[in-house]
Amino acid sequence: MTTRRLRVHEWAGAGAAIAYFTTSLAQDGGLTGRQAYRLRLAADEITANIIHHGYHGRPGMLELEGAVADDRLWLRIVDTAPRFDPRTHDPTPRLDADPVEAREEGGFGLYLALQALDEFAYEYRAGHNHNVLIMCRPAQGATETGGKGGNDDGEHRTGRRRGAWHHRHRTSASAAGGRVPDQA
Amino acid sequence: MEFHATLHVEGASANIRLVGELDSAAAPRLNELITQAAEQEVSRLVLLMSELSYMSSAGLRCIVMAHQKLGSDVDIVLVGTTPPVAETIKLTGLHRGVIMQDPAETR
Repeated sequence: MTTRRLRVHEWAGAGAAIAYFTTSLAQDGGLTGRQAYRLRLAADEITANIIHHGYHGRPGMLELEGAVADDRLWLRIVDTAPRFDPRTHDPTPRLDADPVEAREEGGFGLYLALQALDEFAYEYRAGHNHNVLIMCRPAQGATETGGKGGNDDGEHRTGRRRGAWHHRHRTSASAAGGRVPDQA
Repeated sequence: MEFHATLHVEGASANIRLVGELDSAAAPRLNELITQAAEQEVSRLVLLMSELSYMSSAGLRCIVMAHQKLGSDVDIVLVGTTPPVAETIKLTGLHRGVIMQDPAETR
């Protein structure tokens, strides 16, 4: 099992580095274009939230570690910002606001991230937030349709489809499928 | 991929062509153009999105900001959104406040 790691200290250019990291990881896992897009979106939203609301744009530390294990791909994002579990974010007031111009501008990111993933786990340990993003790998032989990235539905053919942007939330990072290596 | 956006005002329509990837680093550029569009006497803001390959929630915030700056009398039209971008928009319900069109419908 090959493990990819990325450590980010400066926020300028962080988005591009994280995008490259998640795209490479998705390729390792043989994710479909749509899955790769969703993984990138989730990682982008969670790291942006950490940078802007956890560290308030000030210098900090982000560690990304990802690997492929059997039928899953996992990505762990670790930071030292104040404790925050993304699952506690309630987007309902923003999503329900009508008309659109009455909405607050923010608040969509974490909702999108959690919707995009197959599973998500969070744990706070030794002063570190651990966010674990999990995607189920498509079955071998599943192929993409459509010409543009994300215009596929490989899950549909694998029989693993659980609804569009289905997600499950675990109570702790170590509980996420039992295959995510523990990190000290 | 970098993000590029250009504004072209044609009559009562302000057209912004989006190319590349729209994330939190790129969003200020789009907000700047939306602000410029809001200073014009326009009844439509058209976002040409067929070349936009990625959009995070930062792009959604731009659309909400456009609504707030332009007001409810100005239609916001999204043309040619790619499937994953359209999926992101629909997931948050923002499609209810905009007009989503295929490029062929605008010809």
